[in-house]
Amino acid sequence: MEDGEIDEEGVIILEEEDAPPPPPPPPSRKIDSKSPYELLQESKASVEDIVSKMLSIKRDSKPKPLLRDLVTQMLLHFITLRQANRSILLEEDRVKAETERAKAPVDFTSLQLHNLMYEKSHYVKAIKACKDFKSKYPDIDLVAEEEFFRDAPQDIKAKKLSNDAAHDLMMKRLHFELFQRKELCKLHGKLEQQKKGLLDIIADRKKFLSSLPSHLKSLKKASLPVQSQLGIQHTKKLKQHHLAELLPPPLYVVYSQFIAQKEAFGENIDLEIVGSVKDAQTFARQQANKDTGISTNVESSRLEDDAADEEDDGQRRRKRPKRVPSKESLDQEGVYQVHPLKIILHIYDEEVSDLKSAKLITLKFEYLLKLNVVCVGIEGSHDRPETNILCNLFPDDTGVELPHQSAKLFVGDALAFDEKRTSRPYKWAQHLAGIDFLPDVSPLLAFHETPNGETAKTDAVISGLSLYRQQNRVQTVVQRIRSRKKSQMALVAQLDLLTKLKWPALTCQSVPWALHDPLCNLHGWSPVGPPPNQALSLPVIDTDQVQEPIDDDMIGRPGTSKEELESAREDGELPLLLPSASVTSDVKLSRSKGSNLEHSRQLTLITKSLVPPFTKAKSQSFKKFDEDSELMLDTDSDQDGPAYIEVEGENSASAQYNEMGEKLWVDYGVREFCLILTRNMDTDKRIWKLEAKIKISMEYPLRPPHFVLGLYTISSGGNNSECDGSEWYNELRAIEAEVNLHILKMLPLDQENYILSHQVCCLAMLFDYFMGEASPSSEKRKSTSVVDVGLSKPVMKPVHPLQQPASQGRKEIIGRMNDRMLLINQKKRKKRIDRLLGAHNFRYEL
Amino acid sequence: MCGDARNWDEDAYRESILKEREIQTRTVFRTVWAPSLNPNPNPETIVAASSDGSIASYSISSCISKLQSFRNTKAQHLLVAEPDYFVQGHDGPAYDIKFYGDGEDALLLSCGDDGRIRGWRWKDFTNSDVPITLQGKQMKPVLDLVNPQHKGPWGSLSPIPENNAIAVNIQGGSIFSASGDSCAYCWDVETGKLKVVFKGHSDYLHSIVARNSANQIITGSEDGTARIWDCKSGKCIQVIDPAENTKLKGFFSCVRCIALDGSESWLACSSGRCLSIWNLPASECISRTSTRASVQDVLFDDNQILAVGAEPLLCRFDISGAILSQIQCAPPSAFSVSLHPSGVTAVGGYGGLVDVISQFGSHLCTFR
Repeated sequence: MEDGEIDEEGVIILEEEDAPPPPPPPPSRKIDSKSPYELLQESKASVEDIVSKMLSIKRDSKPKPLLRDLVTQMLLHFITLRQANRSILLEEDRVKAETERAKAPVDFTSLQLHNLMYEKSHYVKAIKACKDFKSKYPDIDLVAEEEFFRDAPQDIKAKKLSNDAAHDLMMKRLHFELFQRKELCKLHGKLEQQKKGLLDIIADRKKFLSSLPSHLKSLKKASLPVQSQLGIQHTKKLKQHHLAELLPPPLYVVYSQFIAQKEAFGENIDLEIVGSVKDAQTFARQQANKDTGISTNVESSRLEDDAADEEDDGQRRRKRPKRVPSKESLDQEGVYQVHPLKIILHIYDEEVSDLKSAKLITLKFEYLLKLNVVCVGIEGSHDRPETNILCNLFPDDTGVELPHQSAKLFVGDALAFDEKRTSRPYKWAQHLAGIDFLPDVSPLLAFHETPNGETAKTDAVISGLSLYRQQNRVQTVVQRIRSRKKSQMALVAQLDLLTKLKWPALTCQSVPWALHDPLCNLHGWSPVGPPPNQALSLPVIDTDQVQEPIDDDMIGRPGTSKEELESAREDGELPLLLPSASVTSDVKLSRSKGSNLEHSRQLTLITKSLVPPFTKAKSQSFKKFDEDSELMLDTDSDQDGPAYIEVEGENSASAQYNEMGEKLWVDYGVREFCLILTRNMDTDKRIWKLEAKIKISMEYPLRPPHFVLGLYTISSGGNNSECDGSEWYNELRAIEAEVNLHILKMLPLDQENYILSHQVCCLAMLFDYFMGEASPSSEKRKSTSVVDVGLSKPVMKPVHPLQQPASQGRKEIIGRMNDRMLLINQKKRKKRIDRLLGAHNFRYEL
Repeated sequence: MCGDARNWDEDAYRESILKEREIQTRTVFRTVWAPSLNPNPNPETIVAASSDGSIASYSISSCISKLQSFRNTKAQHLLVAEPDYFVQGHDGPAYDIKFYGDGEDALLLSCGDDGRIRGWRWKDFTNSDVPITLQGKQMKPVLDLVNPQHKGPWGSLSPIPENNAIAVNIQGGSIFSASGDSCAYCWDVETGKLKVVFKGHSDYLHSIVARNSANQIITGSEDGTARIWDCKSGKCIQVIDPAENTKLKGFFSCVRCIALDGSESWLACSSGRCLSIWNLPASECISRTSTRASVQDVLFDDNQILAVGAEPLLCRFDISGAILSQIQCAPPSAFSVSLHPSGVTAVGGYGGLVDVISQFGSHLCTFR
């Protein structure tokens, strides 16, 4: 519309512009009648006329004065031209001004139009916005109408807010809603406040609780001196008990049973568990994971907590550096992997003489995981295994071999237990650990267990434990260790005394030899023999020993053997010569052995050498029954004397080795000593030398020292010693039996640890008697009176006049032996010796 | 074994160690062959008296069969024979045993250190069905003779002298014992009374043999002599001194053992390391041999002499004293040799060993 209007106006303008403006009154124009254009065109036409005239004049070369006029005319015309131009310009300005004036109202009007159009669209927009307005109330969850009428307070219901009823209701409901929400908001705020208060209190208490353990710990620490002062090792005990839970089952049995024994019977022992807790926990965790997995996780985490606790106690510094190397060594050791925890057992003397009880020995129990054996060593001692006093604590328990088959299989080719380890797998240690009823396989290997099997197993363990208690294993072992230690100490003291060549002192006066003042000299005491456990080397050495005496024998008694040879020759049977010679050397072989070795061994030797005599017997029988000519051939082929001796020697060595194999445990750790008693006999100018080889086993005093005797004479002129063992064979054996066996039955039990001293003294006494019997001067004693035969001799003889106090007469000394039976026993035994002694001719051929 | 830490019995273990040593030092003082009831020429049973006072009978055949299986397994070891029957006959060692009579009614006489002579019914030995563990004290002797004690000037009694050897005279119904009080005693079997006391030796008696054909006994003593006694009068008829005319004269040498041959006219008599053989009718020493070790038992085998001594050898001499053979035997010191009519000999001695040697000289079995 505007455009249309504008167009209209434009048209108008164009009309106004196109239409020639009404001719303004040209005030200054001379030629008003004529329009400027006409004038312009006239003057132009007249100029062009004149120019053409001028050109024609010039071309016609008409005279100049004509030109002059023409130029003047021309100029006139130019002036007219200018005048016309000027009037045109003026006219244009006037028209322009007029157009301007006409245009101003048009502009104003169109502006007004625009404003109105704007206003209109704005209103349209506002109307539209109003039309689009939406109320919030449909989104609000209002209470139901009935509820509103029931619950709304009166003032809300009564107010009239709008004329429209529905609107009014809605408004009221909204108000009610608002009211209710405000109320709830208030309540929420209040509760929030309360909550905050409570949280504060909780935080306070938490703070207190978290600070409590450290308080308690410091309290505990502070109480330690008091505890130790009062002798209530509560904290330590707790810690130990806690550690005990980490022990492997065998060590746990050891620990619990020792503790029980200590608490129940007041056994004078102390126990502690040492080792790295951390390692034990890692181990326990590993095992738990292997066992069942999830169920033990809780426990392991608990253990971890405990570990943290534990480390707080100041052990951390010590443990930390230790741990890494121990881990490494575990790997290196392989089969001999040791559980990180160990038990230290202190055994004290049970008779407490003074206030502080003397510590006898400290043992360390450790558990080898792979082998499932418990090892025991003496803490702080690095003795060789055979000098370890724990070996053979019970019969056949050297600790060299692994105690059970499964472990042996596990170790495989290396049958013996590692020699270098100081703690050994003794059987008694296994019994203490209850390994005989605990599961046989190592816990590491046993992960797949059916539940049924486990219950059965626990039953077995429970019954095994009750048997364990019935058998008093702990008590037995502790007592054995105690007595072993004491007897070893006593033995060392006795050996010391003997090494100094002093007669041992006896405290027990009720035995005859205690009162005997030896007439013979304690000439020598020296340890002999190789380390007893070198089983392989032993036979070799023994054969050496055997060989020597044979030579001695041969040299020493050439007369006899020659004599025998001659006697054989007298028979006129040359073939017999060799066998008889070989027999005699055989005899010497076994005889000389007899002086070195146990009788049993010697006896096996003899039976061993029984085979060859068959052949000799054959030859003998041949002599008897001449018809047996076939046998003769046999004997011929068999008889090669010297070679046969060689073979025999070897065989005997091997036989001996076999014997050793069987008795090896008894000989394990045996120490051998050589005791030499000498007696100078004035009557025949000879020195009699009694050599006793004493074997002291580890089981001393339970297995008393074993004496093997040999008798030699040395003529005071020369130094040639002569073996007289064969001549007094019976007597020596009788004395041996006395020393090795019979006096032991007489000894009171409290003298047990001094058996060696008793034996030595008794040997000296018997040697004196023997020499007394043997010497010709004692012949005077020989009378027919029975009363004299052995009666009270043991008492009277020993008391030297100088040593006998004046007040002590013979009767008193007899009276001191209050036990009459003892006297009689002694007498009888003496008689037995007498009998054997008397059975001989003690003369030696001059 | 007496257990370990589980069932420890220290006393029992100590006992067992002592027992072991006792076995090693045990000595068999005498072995005798039991009279055989059936006419089987092979020896059946041997009875051994040993130093622990036990008298035990062993069956040879079972020993041999056991030995067979034993050899297969462990050739090096000694057979530990289990006796058929044993009785703890004496307190202290039992020194001698002898059979009195034959067959069913045979008595086994034993004597020992306790001075007693005890007689056991041999039938009970063979027919016993008591288990071996209950034997020992179970059998009661049918005869129990105790040597008389001597009285001192103030009335104190001497200990009962022990009996070292016994001899019997079945016709006369007497038992002779050689006693430690240097007397020999003659007992009546029926009444159990002491009949004759033979006094005269100056020392301990070691051996006694009965010369029943002449109603004599011969004793060997530690005083170095053997004496021949008349049983009726109790008087010494003759003193035999084996050491006489030797350079040993003047020193004592005990007569350890004596033996008579079957004809009772030859006497073997060992004193120390010297074996002498006497002809009794001529009262003359026929031969005298020196042995290497002292002779501890001697026995006549027809006209040869078996002797054992303090060395592990069984020697056979002829009448002239020449060594015929030597057989090695098990006991390192042999105290007894006994001969079965079939020619089998048994040697018993130190170590509790008994070695049974066949007539051909081979070892039938050895046991302890």
